[in-house]
Amino acid sequence: MKKIITLILSLGLSLAALAQNVTLRGVVKDAGNQPVVGAFVVEQGTNNGTMSDVDGSFSLRVKKGATVEVSCLGYENKTVKVNNDSVLDIVLSDDSQMLEETVVVGYGVQKKSVVTASIAKVDAEALGVTAPTRVDQALKGLTAGVTVTAASGQPGAGSRIRIRGVGTINDSNPIYIVDGMPISGGIDYLNPSDIESIEVLKDAASGAVYGTRAANGVILVTTKKGAKGKARIDYNYSYGVSSPWKTREVLNASEYALMINEGLINSGAAPRYADPWSYGEGTDWQKEVFNYNAPQKNHELSISGASEAVSYYLSLGYTDQEGIVGGNFNRSNYNRLTLRSNTSYTLWDRKSERNYLNSMVLTNQISYARVSSKGVSENSQWGSPLGSALALSPILGVYASDDDVTNYGVIYPGETLITDASGKVFMIPGSSYNEMVNPIADLSRPANDNWSHKIVGAVSGELQLWDNLKFHSSLSVDMSFWGNYGYTPLYYLSANNHATTTNVNAQYEKGLVWQLENYLTYNKEMGRHSFSVMVGQSALENTSDGLYGNRYDLAEEWYDKPYINNAPNNADDPDKQHASGWFNAPYRLASYFGRADWNYDERYMAQVTLRRDGSSRFGSNNKWGNFPSFSLGWNIHKEPYLTLPQAISNAKLRFSWGVNGSDAFEAFRYTVLTSDQNNYIIGAGETTAQGVKSSGLANPSLRWERSVQTNLGLDFGLYQNALTFTVDFYNKITDGMLIQMPVPAYVGESSPWGNSGEMLNRGVEFEFSYKFGHGNWNHRIGGNATYLYNRLISMGNESGFNNYDSFQGAGAMTRGENGHPFPFFYGLKTDGIFQNTDEIAAYTWTNPETGVTSPIMPGAVPGDVRFVDVNNDGKIDDDDRTDIGNGMPKWTVGVNYSANYKNLDFYMLWQGTFGNDILDVTRRTDISETNMPAYMLNRWTGEGTSTKIPRFVRGDNMNWKMSDLYVQDGSYLRLKNIQLGYTLPEKLTKKALVSSLRLYVSAENLLTFTSYRGYDPEISSGGTSLGVDYGVYPQARTFLFGFNLKF
Amino acid sequence: MKYNRTIVILAAAAVAASCSSDFLTVEHNSQKPIESYFNTEAHLAEALVAAYDPLQWFDWCANQYNPLNIMSDIMADQIWVGGADRTDNAYWHLMMNYEAIPTNCMSGIWSDAYSGVKRCNDVITYMDWTDNLPDAVAKSTEAQARVLRAYYYTILWKFWGNIPYYEVNLTGDFTCPQYTADEVYAKILADLQGAIDLNVLPMKWDAANTGRVSQAFAYMLFAELTMYQNDAAKLPKALDYMKEIIGSNQYDLLANYGDVFKEEGEWGKESIFEIGFKEKGAQRSWDWVRGVGGTVLPRLISPNNWTGDGVHDGGWGFCPVRQETLDMFDAADTRRDATCWNPGKENGYSARYQDTGIWLEKYVAYKANNDDAEYDGDLNFNNNLRIYRYAETLLNAAELVQAGYGSGDAAGWLNKVHERALGAGNTVALSLDNIKQERRLEFVGEGKRYWDLIRWGDAATTLVPDAYGYRTNTWSASKKYLPFPQSEIDATKGKSYELKQNNY
Repeated sequence: MKKIITLILSLGLSLAALAQNVTLRGVVKDAGNQPVVGAFVVEQGTNNGTMSDVDGSFSLRVKKGATVEVSCLGYENKTVKVNNDSVLDIVLSDDSQMLEETVVVGYGVQKKSVVTASIAKVDAEALGVTAPTRVDQALKGLTAGVTVTAASGQPGAGSRIRIRGVGTINDSNPIYIVDGMPISGGIDYLNPSDIESIEVLKDAASGAVYGTRAANGVILVTTKKGAKGKARIDYNYSYGVSSPWKTREVLNASEYALMINEGLINSGAAPRYADPWSYGEGTDWQKEVFNYNAPQKNHELSISGASEAVSYYLSLGYTDQEGIVGGNFNRSNYNRLTLRSNTSYTLWDRKSERNYLNSMVLTNQISYARVSSKGVSENSQWGSPLGSALALSPILGVYASDDDVTNYGVIYPGETLITDASGKVFMIPGSSYNEMVNPIADLSRPANDNWSHKIVGAVSGELQLWDNLKFHSSLSVDMSFWGNYGYTPLYYLSANNHATTTNVNAQYEKGLVWQLENYLTYNKEMGRHSFSVMVGQSALENTSDGLYGNRYDLAEEWYDKPYINNAPNNADDPDKQHASGWFNAPYRLASYFGRADWNYDERYMAQVTLRRDGSSRFGSNNKWGNFPSFSLGWNIHKEPYLTLPQAISNAKLRFSWGVNGSDAFEAFRYTVLTSDQNNYIIGAGETTAQGVKSSGLANPSLRWERSVQTNLGLDFGLYQNALTFTVDFYNKITDGMLIQMPVPAYVGESSPWGNSGEMLNRGVEFEFSYKFGHGNWNHRIGGNATYLYNRLISMGNESGFNNYDSFQGAGAMTRGENGHPFPFFYGLKTDGIFQNTDEIAAYTWTNPETGVTSPIMPGAVPGDVRFVDVNNDGKIDDDDRTDIGNGMPKWTVGVNYSANYKNLDFYMLWQGTFGNDILDVTRRTDISETNMPAYMLNRWTGEGTSTKIPRFVRGDNMNWKMSDLYVQDGSYLRLKNIQLGYTLPEKLTKKALVSSLRLYVSAENLLTFTSYRGYDPEISSGGTSLGVDYGVYPQARTFLFGFNLKF
Repeated sequence: MKYNRTIVILAAAAVAASCSSDFLTVEHNSQKPIESYFNTEAHLAEALVAAYDPLQWFDWCANQYNPLNIMSDIMADQIWVGGADRTDNAYWHLMMNYEAIPTNCMSGIWSDAYSGVKRCNDVITYMDWTDNLPDAVAKSTEAQARVLRAYYYTILWKFWGNIPYYEVNLTGDFTCPQYTADEVYAKILADLQGAIDLNVLPMKWDAANTGRVSQAFAYMLFAELTMYQNDAAKLPKALDYMKEIIGSNQYDLLANYGDVFKEEGEWGKESIFEIGFKEKGAQRSWDWVRGVGGTVLPRLISPNNWTGDGVHDGGWGFCPVRQETLDMFDAADTRRDATCWNPGKENGYSARYQDTGIWLEKYVAYKANNDDAEYDGDLNFNNNLRIYRYAETLLNAAELVQAGYGSGDAAGWLNKVHERALGAGNTVALSLDNIKQERRLEFVGEGKRYWDLIRWGDAATTLVPDAYGYRTNTWSASKKYLPFPQSEIDATKGKSYELKQNNY
């Protein structure tokens, strides 16, 4: 940091070396007569300037009659005119906006200066600059302690957000609360430009007010309101094109033929391809599958304003995006329309007349979002378009030859082959590729049309009762409808992926959440003591249900209108049409909560929170849970007895402790209900007799998962907070994690659910920001870094582990186990390649009991992998599998830099992770015909040729067992966003009644530094397969052009 | 004051919504609390059906693949294990060579049979909750539940011996006492005897109830239990029961042995009990393997990638029949071709481990047996699994007479079975050896042989290393009871009743 200051100082000095006429000397002071350090003193309209030193004094030579501007963050700017050599005391007054910075907490706002909990804030400005299409993406790289991993690069795909690590083996998603309303089903419906601020409640003390839903962190979203003044109209537009930024290196046709020949020879068979080189390059399947220059466009319009009585904010947003895989086939795209109206009415305001019932404000918020999307399967080992593109032989072509077509008629009689629009038949790779199919043929099939409508509305009121006692009440409703239309025409892709009857179907689901909340707030200042108290109540219900129906035998002439009513009605034949419906278990939550704050002179702060939650998911013995917390703070810089160095403008120590819960588990696990469909065949006609049994074993003591978290934080501000630094340490233990209890199978029923697992997350978070300016330049650097240590203390079951995902041909690959990070990659350890028979013979184990020495891998031949005998039992088997890495980064960092010079502005955001691994399982080793990654060319072919990649042999079921050969370093650093903007001079725009017009160009994912060989190091798919790459849908590189228009 | 009214309304709404204790009690929309459901005759009948349900799980057993017949036959001397290699269903190979290990042993039958026990216990509990149950219905329900429970326990007792036994479902820490095999035998027999003595089950059910356990089933189970235990005190009674079945004239042999295992032979006059499977209307799929439907057994035990005759269908290459099994049949014995399908080694299919070219015709896959299945064909072959046949009744009776537990036409019963296979007039002399030989020929692949060898005391001399080097160990008395799955030992550690491992 010192270096930066020195740099700025020297820059200032060099600027000061220019020719000038008069000298201005002086001292910059604040209202309290204290010197202001690091204030910029600049001659207006020039680059000539300097900075005040530690005593606040400065000296600058300027042109006679020049205007000098003195500025410093945290203060209002001041200008002086200099006609002669002079000595001036310049007094800067506090920037009121700066001091009033507030933070949204549950059921209220708090001045940032007295916050004692660990809360990260992302404001509209930070959100606005990257113009993300989804709110969850927006959080990426901006705050410490929040890990955001894109689930895929498919348009509209959600991100996986983890606050302070993986909190539980179960659902570890945070809860989203938008304007006080908990939102179910994700926050996709929000238009990011409608957001005023996002607060992430990270520690238990801040989350405690949300009790049994806060264990995995709380994300509070506040939407915009109209500001007093004339009506403000904003219109933003952007247009962009996306392309993949990387392809995987795989074999071309000649290399493929050579390798297959070698594999056959090594397995004792005859080679297949007489002249491998005759195949040339062959088909580049990745190039065929990718959609280059996929367009996306975005419109946002908002109108806002306020008078004494009414404030309003209206907005309209529209986003349309095409995917880089399948977008050109109308198989991967995303389209969203959003509408919002936030209005508040001051019914009366008679503060000057009386101190009871003197004001009442009603607020009404309503938003609507419609999303329609289509998606291709992604990150799957079972033949997703990208998975197939990597697997298919480059010798095969996209289209079938005429001979092939004739041949298909014989091998696939009666099947409907897939053709392109011009009627050309697509190649069918046949059964030797298992689930892998011709990806282009697959993409040519129709996609399901997914749709959703969501309406979130709230009415709330705030009534002043007496003095500062206020009553708040709100009723919020979140209603959503979602579903899809789909149809399957006759098609043939492979023996187990074809349709011989057509099927047309539709699904409709509906969800309704309502919440009623009432709370009282009171705050009072008595001398230097300041108190505030909040008590309240909340009730919530969530219900949902759905319907599904389908019919068969849609005639081909109706393929362009694939709706249920166009397929024949066969009401009498249950095999020809189906209908089903379901009601999901209702969820109800009742709560009481309270919070008390106290501070003395903003020097000593204390806060106590208690929430009591009753959940319909808890067992009858544990209907209600209590979630207490407290936090303490000390503003050291306000301590009159301590003399801190002048430069320190803020120093705050924070401590918090609290208990949060999670009831994010299935309903009715505490009780026993009937369970139908336990049928049996009875009667000579083989009738299915209906059987009903009890659903399981009850655990009436079932309760919430509980997390106890301690947080210690330190905030620093230097030079009037131009430089800020925050560090937080936390320790979070989750116990009572839900898992099926270890009971013997001889009870004859699946095990009951119990609270028995335990998880530890511990970490350090750093955030800093530095703002400075000189001349017409303003700069801001912000950065954050998070270190995370995660351990599963106890799985809670008898074995102490659970295996999760497995890979075809290689077995189990992810696991949770006591004492390890959760989850981790599970497999064998390797120790190079056997170069010759001597090495195989020398790889021995001595039985400690008998003293007999025997080879550990007697069946190996030179070129095979040397696996490590981890359990030291003289043989290599499944018991030697161990922890070979994990996908959770040890370090997550983000750095953003913004600058503006006159009408130009610049922004960039770097984001990266370090210390995480990726399990690259894009190569199905059980499929002998599959194409190979280029690294297979570096295989062992004789002594000394490779120490890493084993010999290539067909039907190899030894060397490619799950092992660290699949594990790669997943660290990366990425230029997530870079942007250059230009605001047209006001003189020009004013004529067109435009108050401001800014044009910009930007790029997303322009640069990525990683050693990972796959498409993208950003990988997350589901809870336990974090970091497992089956052929992930990569993040696109996008170039955008846009403008912001203000009237 | 209108402001006050606003406050009162909002406050009242708040109180109404959250203070009521009923607010947190939500009801499931499609499932009911069991206490309020299992209290009518119709619902009790549904609970009883659910108790039969686990019978059809064994073939798949949550990917364990433990078909009831195969799991003992692989430990006997007539079929091999097969599959891709010794790691394919590794615990089958380990059991075959009498080297089962607790961490990799058969556990599917264990949990499925106990599911059956638990459901039978529930039926008996629910009877108490049901008012106005007609006496006949009550007795029939109780008899079926108890006979079925005895059957589930018999399976467990034969494989594992010293098992936990309970007739009231477990609560608390969900453990219960473990008994010695002899104690378990006594408990099962007492329960079964009680059910038999209720004397309400028909010797054979009417067409509407085909598939339920009958009195004849109970008698056969009684004979199986007492003969396997060699319980001299009870064997005369077993003989009486066999004679009662024979005397009832409700059952007889089919004229042609081959027809027994055809679709037409299902629930024929020879059939005392079968586990039912069907293809048409099957609900079974890989997404819901416990759904009612067909069986995966034929797929398991058919030649891999079979391309041949258009009649048979391919499979996963398990359970090739031993060459010696084919060779033991007289050329004129109609049982030979009905038991052994012999396309020849590697002829028309991909050979897998222990290939002999011979497949178990009784249950091998036929294209016609799953072609009507709506869901996954692999799982939906319609072959019912034969549990008790009248032929076994006759041979049980002959053996019991010959062993001196009573009188009867032992030679006639033996030769009735023999002549059906070899033609009228082809008789054998009555001797214990000839009865043993007849059972050996008659029940290949039906899960009888291994238990017969043990109860006759012939296991240690017959189940010995083979000439091919597949089985290298000899059966010994300690192999009679398989090791319990290690997870069961672990799950009872530190609980009220710890499960003690068998001395395998």
